Amino acid sequence: MSSAGSRLLVTKGWLRQKLLMLSCACGGLLVSAVALAESQQPYQLLRGNPAGYGAVVPGKPIELPADHLPHKDYRIEWWYLTANLQDAQGNDYGVHWTLFRQSLSAAADPGGWASNQVYMAHGALTTPAGHVYEQRFARGGIGQAGVVLDEQGHFAAWLDDWQLRGEADGPLPGQLVFTVAGAKVVLDLQANTPWVLQGQNGYSQKSAQGQASYYYSQPHIRISGSLQQHDESLALDGVGWLDREWSSQPLAPDQPGWDWLALHLDDGNALMVYRLRQANGEHWISGSWVDPQGQAITLGPAEVVFEPLATNPVTSAAGRVRDLPLSWRVALPAKGLSWTVSSVAADHWLDTAFPYWEGPVRVQGSTTGRGYLELTGYE
Amino acid sequence: MKAETPRQFIWVLLTLLSHYRRHPGQALAMIVGLVTGVALWAAVQLINDHARASYAEADQLLGAEASAWIRAHDDSGVAPADYIELRRAGFSTVYPVIDVRLRSSSGSFITLVATDLLALPLLAGGGSTMANPFAAASWLPMIQPPYQAWYPSALARQLDIAPGQQLQLANGQALPPALIQTQAQQGQRIFMDVGAAMAVLQRRQFSYLAVGHLPPAEQQRLAASLPPHLQLVPNHQAIDLAQLTASLHTNLTAMGLLSFAVGLFIVFNAVRFSLLARQGSLTTLREMGVSTGLLGLAIVAESLLWALLGTGLGLLSGFLLSQQLLPAVATSMQSLFGASLGATVSLQPVQVLVAFSLTLAGVGLALAMPLWQRARTSIRHSRSAPAQWQQEHAGVKRMAAVALVLLLVAGLIYPQIDSVVAGFVVLGLVMFGGALLLPLLVQLSIAAVATLLPQRHWLLRWSVSDAVAQLPHLRIALMALLLTLTANIGVTTLVGSFRAALGDWLQTRLSANVYVQSNTLDLAALGQAQWLAYAAERFGSSQRWQDRPTTVRGLDVAAPDAQALLLAQGNPADLALWRQGDGEPQAILANEQVHFLGNQLLGSLVELQTATGLQTFKLVGFVHDYGNANFQFYLPNETLLKLWPQARREGVALWLQGDTQEQATAALLQAGAKPGEWLLQDEIKRVSFAIFDRTFAITAALNTLTLLVAGLALLAALLAVHQQRLPEYSHWRAMGVGFRQWFLIVALPLLLMIVVTLVLAVPLGLILSWLLIHDLNVIAFGWTMPLRWTWVPVWQLSGLTLVIVFATLAVAVLRVRQTLPDALKQLAGNEG
Repeated sequence: MSSAGSRLLVTKGWLRQKLLMLSCACGGLLVSAVALAESQQPYQLLRGNPAGYGAVVPGKPIELPADHLPHKDYRIEWWYLTANLQDAQGNDYGVHWTLFRQSLSAAADPGGWASNQVYMAHGALTTPAGHVYEQRFARGGIGQAGVVLDEQGHFAAWLDDWQLRGEADGPLPGQLVFTVAGAKVVLDLQANTPWVLQGQNGYSQKSAQGQASYYYSQPHIRISGSLQQHDESLALDGVGWLDREWSSQPLAPDQPGWDWLALHLDDGNALMVYRLRQANGEHWISGSWVDPQGQAITLGPAEVVFEPLATNPVTSAAGRVRDLPLSWRVALPAKGLSWTVSSVAADHWLDTAFPYWEGPVRVQGSTTGRGYLELTGYE
Repeated sequence: MKAETPRQFIWVLLTLLSHYRRHPGQALAMIVGLVTGVALWAAVQLINDHARASYAEADQLLGAEASAWIRAHDDSGVAPADYIELRRAGFSTVYPVIDVRLRSSSGSFITLVATDLLALPLLAGGGSTMANPFAAASWLPMIQPPYQAWYPSALARQLDIAPGQQLQLANGQALPPALIQTQAQQGQRIFMDVGAAMAVLQRRQFSYLAVGHLPPAEQQRLAASLPPHLQLVPNHQAIDLAQLTASLHTNLTAMGLLSFAVGLFIVFNAVRFSLLARQGSLTTLREMGVSTGLLGLAIVAESLLWALLGTGLGLLSGFLLSQQLLPAVATSMQSLFGASLGATVSLQPVQVLVAFSLTLAGVGLALAMPLWQRARTSIRHSRSAPAQWQQEHAGVKRMAAVALVLLLVAGLIYPQIDSVVAGFVVLGLVMFGGALLLPLLVQLSIAAVATLLPQRHWLLRWSVSDAVAQLPHLRIALMALLLTLTANIGVTTLVGSFRAALGDWLQTRLSANVYVQSNTLDLAALGQAQWLAYAAERFGSSQRWQDRPTTVRGLDVAAPDAQALLLAQGNPADLALWRQGDGEPQAILANEQVHFLGNQLLGSLVELQTATGLQTFKLVGFVHDYGNANFQFYLPNETLLKLWPQARREGVALWLQGDTQEQATAALLQAGAKPGEWLLQDEIKRVSFAIFDRTFAITAALNTLTLLVAGLALLAALLAVHQQRLPEYSHWRAMGVGFRQWFLIVALPLLLMIVVTLVLAVPLGLILSWLLIHDLNVIAFGWTMPLRWTWVPVWQLSGLTLVIVFATLAVAVLRVRQTLPDALKQLAGNEG
């Protein structure tokens, strides 16, 4: 452990925009955030009082496959996949698909039409032609959305026809199917390395004030699939990253948002790093280094450098221009490794109920690679 | 002209305007005239535009697009499982709707609409384009007991529901606690979450599913994915509503324009007095060398000022007025056409522009033109009273000549009336013709009365002759009064005739004692009960015919109401053929709308889409069908079910044996019907009349308002006349003329003129109601009804007019008392 060891232990997990949707102390639902997103800071929703909900505590072991299923006593939860893919000609494609779940109250779920569970899903696709995305909402309890083991005991997470189905009791190996802007994405997902428990055996602290989540990932997903559009099918393959995370209060009051990177390096290693931006400028930096066999070490601020290099203007569909850090310097000084990470295209702003930037990146430096960058909390 | 400067212009303008400082009463009259005219017109226009905007949104539901519906063939509803299956199949723009009419325990009918706000289709990537349905923290209380029911504030007022209160339904159920809050396109409906609605109303099915925008290929895939009991129906509502309600809006526009015209009469009236008083100023200005051009410019500037003031205040009042009238219109639209009007009206720039142009044109006509004429002729004729008298006399004759031309044109156009607009043109010609004829008629009547009076009643004769002197001042006010009296009598007769016709019609149409609408009633279980005289089932099937929503209805021909069926047109022999389900082609009945709006005659052949394809029918009769905006055909039940096997049940009518209502309700419960699923005859009649009255609420309101405007015109004119004659009155008083004598001299000619106006209003009102009932109403709605004349409105309006006249007389008396010394001084001054 480094001198920053104590800090190191409590880092990890990053807060993704997912947190945002997971609404909050004000007890509203996902969609209520639409108004809030327009009128006030949507991220406020993630700082809500967790009283009555399940508490995230260190030392509670992650139990698989049970933990692949919903934890309704926790306010927020997600199943989050990003993928960097290529067609036969070597053109780059990106996929980002998430299912969010929220418990609107700490009370037991009455189920049916009165269920306190709500779901939100985001599906986004990056092709050489550009970036398209959709968001969907559904209430729990009526079969329109959910995460369960089906009659055959297979894992199934869905909202309408968007679904992630496992071949057994977990999401991997499995298949992701969703449509966005008329394009149907079908991806077969395989992984043969163990799940990576982020932070302290899956306990991922988010701030010095005790905000935390349970967090585990699969960074080494091999993907083959297709993109079907206009009666044409295009074969794609590549790598993907699946995150599972649940919490009841993921964001501290003085944290406006976060920047997150997940990289697949061409030498088979994977790197995840994020920083929770704090009002005092002392950003909460954390990450993990995963070797090709899936063995991971947690990184603290002393081990990893994560700094913006430049900002680029990004115009949202609504026409608003924001300057966002789309180029980064990432380094692991102890290993003598250093990279420059930059976005493939700037136009990846999602004007969803919880607005954020998420898109594929290219890595250059000690090794080359690709990955996904996520930027949240930029007003 | 060269020497004239802007300074001079302002100086001239100020001189012109200074008149109003000395005569604030006239300024007030101008403003009242302009504002009332613009306000009523603007209110109607705002409501019309708002309604049209709402129809354009009829392809949306609660903020989401609804380009089509998914319904059960027999309209029995859609099961949640079918809905979820469609969503799982990727039809994410499909959403569930419960849309039901409920009856409150106090007997009002309310529409409830419910959906799943979370499932409403979003536009691609459109988080921010989605109208946020919730205030924060509102989801759980909405979907969990005790739930919430959202009321638009007008509906809450109408039902007398305060926030937190629960509306009791006739069947003993209670709606969730009220929240005064609305959704887009909610209209005058109660909104609930769809899950909550199923729980509270104990339903297991949605009314239907709505479908947002789908590309054609997806639409085909959806149609193919539906289970056999469901069908995809395109949403034509936006087009249908615009078409169905066009006539109603034309009616409203006509009333708005009438109000505007009456407002202009007031302005005319005010200008007359201002002209008299400004004669001196105009002459002096001309004599001082102010050019006609500059004077003209100043007159234009004054008109602009008035138009600006009138438009501004008028629009403001019109906006406020439209807010007051809107709930009544919205309720009518909901009950008549099923159209949902939003709760708020907004003023568009184009309306402001139109209002200003209209006002400017009106002011130009009423103020600038006479003022300009006077300014040009002032030097030569200004100080010559006899010239004015001559002008007056010639004017009256000219007006009468114009009147005759207008009436002649009306007579020529009348046989060619084929549209609502043409009908209103004839109507306007008759009314304005009558109004222009009035001064001559008054003059002639005065002359006749004067010659008829015996010589020895010199005072009376004098007073009658004096009326000729008053006439020019009152002429325009009398014309305005005539217009509104005519409109009032005409519209009141129309509404009264309609109400009477509806009453008679309901009497024959609703002869059954109990009407049951129940999915769970086992009709056979009622059997041959003692209390039951007859039970008749009804069926219906919907389609589009001549691109209008159309229902084919099945009747039990042996039922008492079908036996006693009265035809508006058709012969009894054919009716027998229809009852037997015979005819080659098959005999069919239709509502009058098919005749008048669908342009079909007795014996016409019509083609309808049956389950097995197009089939031809022969029209053998038309029946009255008041209040229906759609086409309707009637066939015997057996024939209907043969041709449309999937026709929906539209309820059962029960005729009871004597006073056995209690037995009947007990038996119904036993046969599976639930409380609240039946209606007694009296209730339906009461509700029908309630809807009728609410539908005509706006008409009544506009009617009263127009009358009020005319009353104001008369009041202003009389006050001005009295004001002008105050010195005379004072003179008489000083000479020892007693109150009775004064009253005779002043009031008698006034009353004479009012009586002539009233007498002329009766035949004109009759013509108006005839046109409205026999032509406009038929063209607009396709309903015929007999005209029922009643004298009640005539007496009421006479009373009201007399009250106004006596009120102004009383004011005059008071003023004479107050100002006698001053007036005497003035008189002395004038004569000295």
